Amino acid sequence: MTAAGAAPGSLQELAGRPGRATVLSALGRRCLIGLSVAFLAALLLAPLAVVFASAFHSGVQKYLQTFADPDTQAAIRLTLLTALVVVPVNTVFGLAAAWAIAKFEFRGKTLLVTLIDLPVAISPVISGMLFVLLFGMRGWFGAWLAANGVSIIFATPGIMIATLFVTSPYVARELIPLMQQLGDDEEEAAITLGAGAWMTFFRVTLPKIRWGLLYGVILCNARAMGEFGAVSVVSGHIRGLTNTMPLAIEALYNDYDFTGAFAVASLLTLLALATLALKALVERTGDRQP
Amino acid sequence: MRDGQPTVLPGFGLTLGFTTFFLSAVVLLPLAALMLLAGSTPLQQLLAAIASPRALASYELSFGGALIAACINLVFGFIIAWTIARYEFPGRRLMDAAIDMPFALPTAVSGIALTAVFSTNGWLGHYLDLAGIHVAYTRLGVILAMTLIGMPFAVRTVQPALLEVQRDLEDAAETLGAGRWYVFRTVIVPSVLPALLTGFTLAFARALGEYGSVIFISGNLPLRTEITPLLIVMHLEEFDYRGAAALGFVMLAASFVILLAINLLQTWGHARMARGEQ
Amino acid sequence: MSITLDQLTKRYQGVPVVNDVSLEIGDGEFFVLLGPSGSGKSTLLRAIAGLSGLDHGRIALHGRDVTHVSARRRGVGLVFQNYALFRHMTVGENIEFALRVRRVRAAQRRRRRQELLRLVALEGMDERLPAQLSGGQQQRVAVARALAHEPQVLLLDEPFGALDAKIREGLRRTIREVQRELGITTILVTHDQEEAFAMGDRIGVMNCGRLLESGTPQDLYTRPTTRFVATFLGAANLILARQGSDGPRWGARPAVHGPGACGAREREVVAVVRPEEIEIARSSETLACSNFLGRGVVEEVLFTGALERARIRLDEQPDAPILAHANGDGAVLIETTRPQFEQRAFAISRGQSVTIGVRRAHVLPTPLSSFTICAPNSSAAERLAGNSLLLDLSSRMKTRIRKHLEPMLGASTPSRDSTAALPGTAVIGARAGVASDAKWLLEHGVEEILILPEHAPAPQRVLIHWTDESARSATLAASASVLRHLAAEAIYIDVLPEQTSTAERSFGIRALLDARSEARAAHGLEIRTELRFGVAAQALEQRLSESPGHMLIVGVASTSQLTSELAALLAMARWPVLLVHRERGAPAHSRSAA
Repeated sequence: MTAAGAAPGSLQELAGRPGRATVLSALGRRCLIGLSVAFLAALLLAPLAVVFASAFHSGVQKYLQTFADPDTQAAIRLTLLTALVVVPVNTVFGLAAAWAIAKFEFRGKTLLVTLIDLPVAISPVISGMLFVLLFGMRGWFGAWLAANGVSIIFATPGIMIATLFVTSPYVARELIPLMQQLGDDEEEAAITLGAGAWMTFFRVTLPKIRWGLLYGVILCNARAMGEFGAVSVVSGHIRGLTNTMPLAIEALYNDYDFTGAFAVASLLTLLALATLALKALVERTGDRQP
Repeated sequence: MRDGQPTVLPGFGLTLGFTTFFLSAVVLLPLAALMLLAGSTPLQQLLAAIASPRALASYELSFGGALIAACINLVFGFIIAWTIARYEFPGRRLMDAAIDMPFALPTAVSGIALTAVFSTNGWLGHYLDLAGIHVAYTRLGVILAMTLIGMPFAVRTVQPALLEVQRDLEDAAETLGAGRWYVFRTVIVPSVLPALLTGFTLAFARALGEYGSVIFISGNLPLRTEITPLLIVMHLEEFDYRGAAALGFVMLAASFVILLAINLLQTWGHARMARGEQ
Repeated sequence: MSITLDQLTKRYQGVPVVNDVSLEIGDGEFFVLLGPSGSGKSTLLRAIAGLSGLDHGRIALHGRDVTHVSARRRGVGLVFQNYALFRHMTVGENIEFALRVRRVRAAQRRRRRQELLRLVALEGMDERLPAQLSGGQQQRVAVARALAHEPQVLLLDEPFGALDAKIREGLRRTIREVQRELGITTILVTHDQEEAFAMGDRIGVMNCGRLLESGTPQDLYTRPTTRFVATFLGAANLILARQGSDGPRWGARPAVHGPGACGAREREVVAVVRPEEIEIARSSETLACSNFLGRGVVEEVLFTGALERARIRLDEQPDAPILAHANGDGAVLIETTRPQFEQRAFAISRGQSVTIGVRRAHVLPTPLSSFTICAPNSSAAERLAGNSLLLDLSSRMKTRIRKHLEPMLGASTPSRDSTAALPGTAVIGARAGVASDAKWLLEHGVEEILILPEHAPAPQRVLIHWTDESARSATLAASASVLRHLAAEAIYIDVLPEQTSTAERSFGIRALLDARSEARAAHGLEIRTELRFGVAAQALEQRLSESPGHMLIVGVASTSQLTSELAALLAMARWPVLLVHRERGAPAHSRSAA
């Protein structure tokens, strides 16, 4: 090193020291960590904290009162019901799509993948609007539906369909890369050992992808329960009937019942936190490693 | 798949059939409805809806705001990804997990929470107010919400690319006499550039379509803080399907262009990687 | 026969990845499929297992045709390179899987599991998960799992690929012991020749989708029939030599005798000399073996433990031996290995001048020894030298391309006076008057001519035809030589006159079958056959024009046929053509017992 003759401890010498732990890099490191923490604290942590702070602002009593309200209870029921219907359907869809795409070569595969991704790329408001255009009063099937006394828009089925559309990619998107990465060897081994199609699927493939599938389902569930834009367009905002939890938050907020709004929001925040925790768990349990 | 040869695995017809049916019914049919409605609207009416002053103002906010938000995310996304990928510090794992928060949190919740934090009497809004900066119910608030919502996309696309840049490569460059900043410019940035741009585009796309978290903080003042999705909702509430479809068509076209851009960026990135591996 | 493969062909995007493979494997035999990556050996194994479909051919296991039987009902045991263990099941569950599928009772399953675990020396590991085992142990489990349902045959797809050397050794022994104990017919796929030698009762060597040769390890090593096998199994010096009545002779070009004296002509051949068959001595007097190869300088000496490896650069002399694969004017380097006692007897060092002799040489039966480009001027020669098919063939055949300028070619009236001696296969460019060029060359002692058009796609199908039965053996030998190095299908076309009577037609069909069986028996070449009616040249032209990517190999007995019947076909210059000439009545080089 040429620094041997330099004055000991000079900044020049310190910066020129071999290895990664130089003063400059330590300085840069602190700056960058500080910047990241500040950015995330302002954008993520503060809103998160404010949800719970506001929810309990007027005491636990007031917090619990929100959930005694029949309209809020109806919103929670509707949200659960929607998730109960939408998530299984999208799980089956995701499994089928991932199997077809990860296991086989066929023409138009790229197009199919693009179509699967599409709902993520377009605005939730437009997603909702699509179904208004189809099933709304002046939509394609509007007249026929009205004549037969079936209501979809401004009713539970519309909410479910819009949610189905918006959350359809999540399971498939989680499973496709996972299945591609895990390969077909185990399935082929099962077949040469005499297993049939369903046995191969249930005994070999499903256990193989279970963690990824679980995460996909949980994510799909979180999005289904939290969807706002698309549901907002098709629901009609009828309290106690077509308001889901996010819509109830909006309604309470617009009524200046901030405690109520944040109380409901706190539930959904807990759901989001649970989802994130599970994701971390799945990544650590990691069935991604061979 | 091995060598692209047909496999003996079962279920091709069943799964592909179901997938195609599902996508046709749930995705293609509704899209066709929108296209047909927008297409069957007389041109005069279509243009009137697309180019009304309110619509134009909303484009300015939606596209401009999303662009600024994506730029912010480009910078901070890289910094955060770098911090998580390169530094070991207490709370790193927590930070890593928290990145996905805006993704998992319902947009309505982040909307009211942001408003509460940045309103004039909110935790941070209070101090900003003293400095003369108003966030809630201004365009700045819209950009803030858009930044929040796009952030995970920017970070999550850059992160794996950064992890793939081998430290060996940097070490090699350094032993060859290159300075740290030089290594950064010539080794690291070029190798994560495709990912950076993909993240930027994804964040932009997400911010452009965002509705839930924006409408609370924006205040929805006509011509000032109205975003295009909100305008669509208003058209729908007035049962002006054609007007809504026209605006929706503009947004969809933008989404398609963005999707195309993302695909091209990814192909570019893969091609670069493939070349790098040779 | 335990496993019978009959003309298996599998194409991928038009290119055969498994090309007309026929093979019979006996009961309890351990057969090794050896080949470089991409040679089609794994695809072949997957086809036998039923995991990949076939375009052509039949598979029988123990006399039962399973061509159309699904993988799950074939009853084969397959071991994958990456183990493919069910990662969420314990070792015991993995092994019992096939029995569970067959609804075997629990007690019986357990018995079988214990038996198999003992067999692969993994007793007591039942409850472990695959992730808790080492790579070698995982592969043992995979073997046990594949054997659980008592399969008729065991297929191993590069089972040691992911293991390190020490573990590999042990696992090889285990698998060989298990195989002997059960007496189960086994196919192992590998790219490692050492492994093939260590394990196989018989080895089949694959390249470009073709099964080139199969035989015992000793046979393949000492008497290979193809250059590929000679160089792929162990190291080999390929030396161009003259085949005389008393064995190969080195150096000098083959002497040319006048036309008509074909039998007396010394042919150029390719001799395989193993490095350990080279003797190094101080001078030719001290050489123990009689076969003097030449003098040279030691270029490099490497000590590798048991053996000493040396490279010796042969002195440049006009009649020095030529290596088949040293293209252009590069140095002629001979590879040698010597055991310790020889090193002690005569120590060598770098730069030392030595004499080398050959203890034993094996002459390859291939008629295509090397290529000699014949062109009227140097620019035409350069063009031919850049032809992709020629470059491809010469690099795959590991043989050299010489250039020879012959002003007589392309002249309007080729004269007969030239003393040029042209070794190997002549290569000429296609043009309108190519038939007379070819005639001229044949009359000057050349026996094979490759006619190359300027632009032709890589051949996917090679059509074989001879105008006279006396050219049959030579044409088949040349075809086999070419096809070993091309990923193309071989089709023999026989053409009968339009008005052939029904009785005479049966002769035609017999000729087809004869051709097929001779190709298979004498050259290990699988060909398909087609019978056409009409005038030979026209029928061939029609067949060649059906689709792009053809090559034609045609055998003729007299030079006059070139300028009469075949002239128009040759002049079209759209396909590569290999002409094989054997004078009627001349003694054939390799007329076989078939």
